[in-house]
Amino acid sequence: MPAKVALKRNPKKNPLGRVFVGNIGALAIGLKYFLDPNRITLLYPHEYIKLRQGYRGFIVLIQDKCISCSSCARICPARAMKMLSVKVFDKRLKKEMVKKFPVINYNRCIFCGYCVDVCPTEALYHVPYHDLVYMNMQDMILSLEDFQKEPENVSAKEGIPVRYVFDEKRGLVKIKQEEEKKEISQPVEQTKQQESTKQQTNNPEPKSVNKGGVNQ
Amino acid sequence: MESSTSGSVVPHLPGMEVSELSKNTYEVYIGPAHPGSGHMRIIVEVDGDIMVRVDPDIGFVHRTMEKLAEGRDWIKNIPLFERMAILDACNITLPYVEAVEKLLGTEPPERARYLRTLLCEINRIASHLYGMGIFGVFLGHSTLYMWAFGDREVFIDLAEQMSGARLTHSYPVFGGVRRDIPDDFPEGARKATRYMRNRLNEYAKIFLNNPNIRSRLENVGVMSKNLATELGIVGPNLRASGVRYDVRLNEPYEAYGELEFEIPVFEEGDSLARAWARVEEIRQSLNIIDKVVDWLEKHPRENFMHEKFWKTAPKLYKDVYTGQIDYAGKYRVKLMPLFASLKVPPGKAFARVEAGRGEMVYYVESDGKDVPYRVRVVSPSFRNVIAFKYLMPGHRLMDLPAIYGSFDYFPPEWDR
Amino acid sequence: MITWYLVYRIIVDDIIFYPPIYQFLIIPGLIAALLVALFIIWFERKAAAFVQMRYGPREIAPRIGGAIQLVADLTRYALQEIIIPETVDVLPYILSPIIMIILALLPLEAVPLTSIRTYFPIPPDYSLLIAVALSTLSPLFVVLMSWASNNKFAVVGGIRESFIITAYELIAVLGFLSAAAMTQSFNIVNIVNIQMSGKWLGLLNPIALLAVFIAVLMSTSGFPFEIPDSESELVAGPYTEYTGLLYGLNMGGGYIKRWVFSILIALVFLGGWAPYKPVPGIITGYFIPSLIVSIKALIVMAIMSFLRSVYGRYRVDQALGIAWEILIPLTLAAFGLGLAEAYFGII
Repeated sequence: MPAKVALKRNPKKNPLGRVFVGNIGALAIGLKYFLDPNRITLLYPHEYIKLRQGYRGFIVLIQDKCISCSSCARICPARAMKMLSVKVFDKRLKKEMVKKFPVINYNRCIFCGYCVDVCPTEALYHVPYHDLVYMNMQDMILSLEDFQKEPENVSAKEGIPVRYVFDEKRGLVKIKQEEEKKEISQPVEQTKQQESTKQQTNNPEPKSVNKGGVNQ
Repeated sequence: MESSTSGSVVPHLPGMEVSELSKNTYEVYIGPAHPGSGHMRIIVEVDGDIMVRVDPDIGFVHRTMEKLAEGRDWIKNIPLFERMAILDACNITLPYVEAVEKLLGTEPPERARYLRTLLCEINRIASHLYGMGIFGVFLGHSTLYMWAFGDREVFIDLAEQMSGARLTHSYPVFGGVRRDIPDDFPEGARKATRYMRNRLNEYAKIFLNNPNIRSRLENVGVMSKNLATELGIVGPNLRASGVRYDVRLNEPYEAYGELEFEIPVFEEGDSLARAWARVEEIRQSLNIIDKVVDWLEKHPRENFMHEKFWKTAPKLYKDVYTGQIDYAGKYRVKLMPLFASLKVPPGKAFARVEAGRGEMVYYVESDGKDVPYRVRVVSPSFRNVIAFKYLMPGHRLMDLPAIYGSFDYFPPEWDR
Repeated sequence: MITWYLVYRIIVDDIIFYPPIYQFLIIPGLIAALLVALFIIWFERKAAAFVQMRYGPREIAPRIGGAIQLVADLTRYALQEIIIPETVDVLPYILSPIIMIILALLPLEAVPLTSIRTYFPIPPDYSLLIAVALSTLSPLFVVLMSWASNNKFAVVGGIRESFIITAYELIAVLGFLSAAAMTQSFNIVNIVNIQMSGKWLGLLNPIALLAVFIAVLMSTSGFPFEIPDSESELVAGPYTEYTGLLYGLNMGGGYIKRWVFSILIALVFLGGWAPYKPVPGIITGYFIPSLIVSIKALIVMAIMSFLRSVYGRYRVDQALGIAWEILIPLTLAAFGLGLAEAYFGII
C-alpha cells in the first residue's frame, strides 16, 4: 500500500474561544509542568550514562589477532588510522621480523566505526564510552602500546552510572544503577590509593619548604 | 571610469554590485554573526518597519563537499556527506548510497530496506523537532525550544540503539545496512511513539494554539501554490502550500511503497500551515515507525546485506552477527575488505529521497576508478532559501524570524 | 553611654529610617530592589526550568537550588570590560543607563508605605498622581540610549520602545487612576485605608487590575514581551552597543521598573499593608508595613515571571493594536466601573 495524500487545514477557532480557550490551555499546560516537572537533564559530572554495548566509542586494538592487512587504515574516512612498522617476534616463523600494526590519531577520528567493521579478524573493538579529555594534542596520537589499552573511563570515577529508559508518560526516565556502582567502585579506590601514594611521595618537599618559610 | 568622476553617480568596480537606495529606506544586515540568523546573512532593506527588499546571502559555511568527494574512496564519502546535516544523517546519505547501488547493480535485501526506512523516519522526527525548537526560540517561546530539544533526545536515543552513534550514524552502506536492531528495540520504540503522540497535543496547546503565537503566524508569509511551484520549493514547506509532492509518494523508495501512511497537505501556505505540516508529519512518521517495527519483529533476522558482499563471508563474520564474540556486540554486519577499495563500474546514476527538509538529490558519475568522477548534491535547504526573497517583502521586520523559522532553513545543508 | 545612644538614635531615626532615604535606598528602594532582582531572576530561571524539562541554576549551590547564581552573574557583569565604541555620543551613552536607573526608582519616593504621619516621605495628598507621573520618566532615557548608540538595531529598538511606552504607559496610568475614581482620592493612604476592610480594589475592579498587569508586563520589557530588544531580529535593541556593567544596569533596569510598578499595584489594588494596622514605632509603624507591601509586590512579580514560560513575543503592530484597540477601551470600561461602584456606594 503506497502513501496517500491527506488534505488538511489549519485548525480554526472562533475569536472568542481563541482568546479564552487558547490562553487557558497554554497556562494550564505551563502550570501542570511547573507543579510536576518532567526533567530529563543529566547532571553530567555527578552522573553519567552507562552506554550499552555496541556504542561506537573509543577503539582498542588486540594485537595478537591483528594480521597486518591494513584494511582499517585504508577504509578510514578521516585518515586517522595509520599503519606502523614494528619489529616483533613472530611465534609461528620463530624469527624477528618487521610487521605493520595500526595506530590511531584521535585528533582526526570521527568514530564512524568502519575500521572495526572491516577488520577481518575482529582485532579492533569499541569501548562503550566516549568522554575523555587529553591534556594536549600530542597525547591524542596514540602509540601502539596505548592503542592496546582500554582508555580510562574518567566519568566513571566521579559520577554514578545512570541509564535512560523509554517511558510512555515521561519520554526518557533516568534509572540509577546502584548494583553496577559496586563493581566500578573497586578500581576507583585503587586509583585513589595510587594518587594518595603519589601525593605522599611528592609532599615532603613542599612541606619542608613551608616549614622553612614559617621559621624564617 | 567616466562615471566615477561625476559626483552623483556611484562608481562601478569590477565584481562589486552597487545599488542605490531610495531616500526613505535603510539597510539592516541580519547575520552572519547575529543571534537570529544562523550561518547566513539576510540583507534587509527597510522602509520604516516594512521590509522592501530581502536578499538572502549564503555561503558562509561552504566546505567544498562535492570537490572533496572526488578525491575520496566511494565508501569514505558516506561519513563526509553526513556532515551536511548531521541531525538528518540517514536521509542525507541515503540517496548517495542508492545511486552507487544503482551503479553497482545491487539491490538491498528486504530487511535492510525496512531498517533504512526506520532510521530515516527517526531522523525525520528528530530533524522536525530541531526545526520547531529553533522556530520557537525565534518567536521568543523558550519553552517550545526546550521541549522540542528534550523530546528529540528520545529519538536520538532510539537512533543510537540502532546504529551505535547519536548523530553521525553512517548507517546505510552499499548493499545493505550496518546493523540490525537490538532485541529490546521494538518495546522501547513503541513506548517512544506513544509518548510523542501525547506530547504533540501539548505542543499544540502551548505553542500552535496559543493565541499569542497564532497571531504571529497566521497569514504571515503566505506562499501561494503557484509561487511555491515556480520557486521550486520542496518538502513540508511545499506541502503546506497545497502541492501534492513528496518523493515518498511520487517515486517510492526503500520500503515506502509497501507501507500505508498519509502525506499531510495543507492549503493555507502561511507560517502556521508550515508549522502544522511538520507536526502532522511527525505524527505520520510515528505511525510508520510503529508499522516498520511490527514488520521487523514478525520477520526473521535474515541477512540484511546483499549476497554479493555476504556469500563469501568467513565463519567469523557470522559469529559476529549472531553475537558469539563477547566484546564485539551483536547483530553487526562486518564490511568486506573490498569495501575499502571498491571500484564502481562506469556510469551515471541519480537518486532522490524525501529528507526532513525536502527532496534530496544526488547525481553520481563514475569512470570506473575507486573514487567518484563527480558527485552533485542538491539539498532541500538550497531550494527553499530563495523563498525568503519573495515572501518577506511587504511584511514587518518582526515577521522575519516568523518566516525564517517556519521554513526550517539549515545553512550547513545548502552550503555543503 | 548617653552620647552613644544618641548617635545610635540619630543613625537609626534620622538616617536609616528617614523616609526619603529609607524608601529610596533600603525598602523598597535600591537595596531591596537589588535583592528582589536577584531573587526574581533566579525564580524566573527556575520556574522556566521546571516547565522546560530541566533543572535551571543548580551547580553553584545544589542544596539551595543555585540561589546565589545571580551573585556570580552580577560579579561577571561588574568586572567585565566596558567597551565604548568610537561612533557613540559618549556623554549620553554613559549617563543615560545611570539616570534611567535613578529615575526608575524615583516613584518610590512618592508613595507612603504606612499610615503614620511621621513616616511619609512627601505629603501624601496627591501621591498616586505623582508616583504615576514619575514612573513615565525613565523610559525616555532608553530612547536617548538608543539614539546615543548610533546603531541601526539600537535606533529601531528605540523607536519600538517609544511606541510601546506611549501605548502601555497610558493604560497603566489610566488603570491606576481608576482607583482614584473609585475612592475619590489621590491619597494612597486613603486608598489603602479603604481596603482595610478586605474590599481590595483589585477584587472590586478586576478589569483595571488585569489591564494594569498587562500594561506593566509589556511596558517593562520582560523576556518574551521584550519587543524593543527582541533578540531574533534586533540583537539587543537599544542595548546593542552596551557592555559590562552598563549593560548589566540596563538588564537590571527592566526589573527595577517592574518592581516599582509592582509596589504600586500592591498598594493600589492589593490592599497595601492591609491586614496589618501600623502602630507608632519605627519597627511596627514603618518597617513591617513596608515589608508586607514588598512581599505582595514580590508575588505579583513572580506571577509575571512565570508567564515567560508560556507566552511568546508579540509583533510590534499587534502589541500596539492590542493596546489601542482592546486594552484602552477595557481600561476606560474599568474607569467607568470604578465610577459606578463609587456612585452606588459599594466601596
